[in-house]
Amino acid sequence: MGYALRKVVLFFITLWAAITLNFILPRLMPGSPVDAALGKLASSGVQITNAQRQAVEIQLGSAHGNVLSQYGQYLNDIVHLRFGRSFSFPTETVTHTIAKALPWTFVLVGATTVFAFVIGTLLGVYAGWRRGKLADSTVTIGATFFAAFPPFWLGLLLLYALAYKLNWFAIKGGYSPGLTPNFSLSFLSDAFQHSVLPALTLAVTSLSGWVFGMRNNMINILGEDYVTFAEANGLRTRTIALLYGARNALLPNVTAFGLSLGAVVGGSILVEGIFSYPGLGNLLYVAVSNRDFPLMQALFLVITVSMLVAIFVVDLLYTRLDPRVRQ
Amino acid sequence: MRRLSQTGSPLLLAVVAAVVATGLVACKGSANNASSSSGVSGGGTLTIQGDAGNPTLVENFNPLASAEMHGTYLIYEPLEIPSPIDGTYTPFLATGYKFTNPTTLVYTIRQNVKWSDGKAFTPADVVFTFNLLKKFPALDLQGVWQQLSTVTASGNDVTVTFKTPNVPFAGTIAQTPIVPEHLWASVADPAKFANTKPVGTGPYTLTSFAPTQYALAKNPTYWQASKIVPAQVLFPAQASNQSTNQLDVTSGKFDWAYNFLPDVQKTFIDRDSAHNVYWFPPGGTIALYLNLTKAPYSDVNFRKGLSLSLDRTTIETKAVNGYMGVASLSGLILPNLQKWLDPSLPAKGVVAQDKTAAAAAFTLAGYTNTGGKLVDKSGKQAAMTIVMPTNFSDWVAAATEVRTELGAAGVKVTLDLPQYAQYSSSIQAGTFDAAVGGFGGTGNPYTDFNNALNSSFATAVNTPTSNNFERFKSPAVDQALAALASATAEPAQLKATEALEQVMYTQTPVVLMYYGGSWGLFSTKNFTGWPSAAHPYTLPTNYSNAMLVVLTHLTKS
Amino acid sequence: MSILATVPPPREAPGGSAEITLRTSAALPGPVQFLSRALRTLWSNGKARLGLTILGVFILIALFAPLLAPHSPTATTFPPYLNPTSTNLFGTTGNGQDVFSQMLYGARVSLLVGLSAGLAATIVAVTIGLIAGYRPGPVDEVLSFVTNLALVIPGIPLMIILAAYIPSRSVWTIVFVVAITSWATGARVVRSQASTLRSREFVTSAVFSGERLFRVVFREILPNMTSLVAASFFSAATAAVMAEASLEFLGLGNPSTVSWGTILYYAQQQNALLTGQWVLVLAPGLAIALLALSFTLVNFGVDALSNPRLREK
Repeated sequence: MGYALRKVVLFFITLWAAITLNFILPRLMPGSPVDAALGKLASSGVQITNAQRQAVEIQLGSAHGNVLSQYGQYLNDIVHLRFGRSFSFPTETVTHTIAKALPWTFVLVGATTVFAFVIGTLLGVYAGWRRGKLADSTVTIGATFFAAFPPFWLGLLLLYALAYKLNWFAIKGGYSPGLTPNFSLSFLSDAFQHSVLPALTLAVTSLSGWVFGMRNNMINILGEDYVTFAEANGLRTRTIALLYGARNALLPNVTAFGLSLGAVVGGSILVEGIFSYPGLGNLLYVAVSNRDFPLMQALFLVITVSMLVAIFVVDLLYTRLDPRVRQ
Repeated sequence: MRRLSQTGSPLLLAVVAAVVATGLVACKGSANNASSSSGVSGGGTLTIQGDAGNPTLVENFNPLASAEMHGTYLIYEPLEIPSPIDGTYTPFLATGYKFTNPTTLVYTIRQNVKWSDGKAFTPADVVFTFNLLKKFPALDLQGVWQQLSTVTASGNDVTVTFKTPNVPFAGTIAQTPIVPEHLWASVADPAKFANTKPVGTGPYTLTSFAPTQYALAKNPTYWQASKIVPAQVLFPAQASNQSTNQLDVTSGKFDWAYNFLPDVQKTFIDRDSAHNVYWFPPGGTIALYLNLTKAPYSDVNFRKGLSLSLDRTTIETKAVNGYMGVASLSGLILPNLQKWLDPSLPAKGVVAQDKTAAAAAFTLAGYTNTGGKLVDKSGKQAAMTIVMPTNFSDWVAAATEVRTELGAAGVKVTLDLPQYAQYSSSIQAGTFDAAVGGFGGTGNPYTDFNNALNSSFATAVNTPTSNNFERFKSPAVDQALAALASATAEPAQLKATEALEQVMYTQTPVVLMYYGGSWGLFSTKNFTGWPSAAHPYTLPTNYSNAMLVVLTHLTKS
Repeated sequence: MSILATVPPPREAPGGSAEITLRTSAALPGPVQFLSRALRTLWSNGKARLGLTILGVFILIALFAPLLAPHSPTATTFPPYLNPTSTNLFGTTGNGQDVFSQMLYGARVSLLVGLSAGLAATIVAVTIGLIAGYRPGPVDEVLSFVTNLALVIPGIPLMIILAAYIPSRSVWTIVFVVAITSWATGARVVRSQASTLRSREFVTSAVFSGERLFRVVFREILPNMTSLVAASFFSAATAAVMAEASLEFLGLGNPSTVSWGTILYYAQQQNALLTGQWVLVLAPGLAIALLALSFTLVNFGVDALSNPRLREK
């Protein structure tokens, strides 16, 4: 219980730190993006209320008012999910724009992580079990090689080969044009089909973390006493590997999960742009090309907080699954 | 440990394999457009590419605003449509027009036309529409009420009176889309009205809208319904990056697409040589707009220096692979508008790169080249930021070459590549430094010059305008435009046009570069009758009222 | 920061049974001797050997690019959109530039950015790790917290935002941005090793015998972490190469630089896939992957140096 409580406290402190970092960043940067943002909002022709204008100013570090009061107002805005207006989408609030894209990224990242975890772990078990042999080298070098692929590059190649040339998958989008998102089976399967290529790209390039984590675990465990004991008792190596080694090593390593998630989220930014997949990554891509700082800020915050939450949840789960971790 | 006691790698593998297999099998069919002509009777489905979202489509079918979906052109009709190539009129809601005297224009309105909700269309609707533009100047994008004094109806006619004679302006009047009085009279702010249930006199009505695609169905009570063939028109949204759109276009999903393609023979025609055709007529001049409210662009010598530093042949090759030609600095598209050309302009207005003359012009503007940098009297290097939409790849290629060439002249050039909506608001507001944009191409020299040079469009910076983005102001030029407007006989028209060409050539208000193409990409798989070099009845632009004209020419393959 | 940044931290502190002998404050082997011994050990590891070979090839290409390249990388004199021909081995870009020459010159920028950013990130990581590990207490707590924070904050989004804010566009912008987002993993590892070593006898004896802090750190602690620092450096360099490619692909680099990332940027802008020029997409991406791979392979050898359990039999 004490362990979990500590984790919760740590989570909130880290959350606060991330939010504060987001506040500090634009104030450190040379050149004020505020004037650019306000200018663009003004010329977009949409009526911007004073409250919205103020929100943008506070978010981006306008010159007037003292920093502490701005910080207080900023925290207040964050809690109420007021991120102001982006000038890429001036007719709706940033919160609304992000809310539409969020589920797509969740699904993509979630599916990819699960997929990579499953395949990577299986390969890692195999490699650890066959340590030192050709199979081990093949898997480790192969996984390393695939991890070295820039995700957007692999995405382009898959797009060209599988979508454009062979026509097996759609070239763009999260779902076929004309459909409205709903929870019917036909829509879900259509959305699934559109997510295969981006998910495959991200999964392949993030496999290696799982492979190596699992392989190392296996190697360590195969050196443990109880395995030696089982061997001495006459059990075959294969039984040992699967029944004892794999199961004990299977528990996800939280650090590996956190870093893998980071890699997938980072990769998704580039890959979503290539496939025009309607998630947060695509939004960031649009925001960057428009120098849309309000949107960029909000996206960064949302992405960071989502990752923090995900890692926190996995951390809590891990403490329930593995009693060795609790002190 | 306990939980996983029954699982093993084989089961996991099987689950994964099953999920993947289901996904692939279930969906191979929908890899292609899910919008095939199922459930559509007879006439077939026409799929048009070209509506860009931001990044998804925003529902707006207001024909008088500037952000409307392209399908709006198939829902609402104007009085008449002049061809952007040779100016001949195709009648729509008006059966004819006549100038009874130089300032009075009378349109005969077509009878027995119905709005798509069943109410009758009358000349009162025409009067209402024009008066709406007067009441809400934000809607008057073409500056109609700068020219008109009254619009009245009597019997089957609508009479338009001008403040001063302006014969060519009739083309602009004729192209104003007409909206129904019985629905729009109660709209509080038509400038912000999204008009999501559009009622028009045109051949199609809106049946569905989603952020990724919208669909129109044929209006059976349309006054020339027998000429309209496709039963349904689909507009899928474009992607936000140009490369994806180009891949999409060459995958055979569209009947009519509008996209620049490099090496069109290899990338498009060869993909389906039986059905794919293209036509790239010049649609306008691609130019470098300089913000004349800023120094040093306000100095004509600096502008000349920039213009003379450019090697337009290379720019054109880099941008459009030699499909088009370099622009004549007269402002006319040649050879289409050859008859208006001022014969006294050397080499038909085409200017080659001349670095010496450029340097001389820069010196006159107070800039000298020291150590490879073009600096002013205080030693500051000339710097320019050029803005253009990120997905107009041919404009980007042109600007990249411009950057190299101006860089050689000592100017530091940076490129800014936002999404289209950002670019558009930037040029309309006049907050840009330099911008790539289109000049002319209306088929009528008066309209071309008027849109670019008339000071009535030159609003203050931060007040949006829809023309004359560079904010050019010259009373002399305004007078010359008025002279052209009121000239009724051809010799006078010619003389007035030549005067304007001289202004373009000598004062360089806009730095013209090369002719931009109208990138018409067609498939004859479902329909034929597309405009082509053999039948140039209009430009292949699917973002203008040319769509209405094209639809009346289409027949089933 | 890519997953490679974590591959693979040694499972246990190498101090125990490692091949690196404990050094007293007496004679330190000369750096040259040390380096040659390290290289020899690396070379004996199969994976590291492969990595060193690949890296060696790239370094040679980068050094001799002007001699090897048949044309200037920026001259736009060729017809655009060509597929590979005898004059243009990899074809030409939409601007008419020779891609093969660009690939050769591009090696310079990619190597430079990779190695510089890796070095910068490692210096930051080692500094922070050492300070945190050697000085327990509030300093350690704060630095550890900052390190953990830097670990969870997603690297690429942060890099994108930083690069978007910074107005100047140059290779050094990218080096700077990568360095300040990639130091965390290395710092964590260094810190844990430093805090282990801190309580070792040879360190305490050095402190008691009056050695100044500086000497203790640089003569006692750091030499025992060489393989760790090397591993951290190669991980950071890998991440840097990938990050540089990503930032340039997004257009956040300087488009007039010639590097593998900008070749991909232009390939995308001018739609090399559409014109069937898949070489323009395959070649630079493959080069980036191979360079990143070579760093990681060398890293395997470095790890095997310190953790005998991971050595190949």
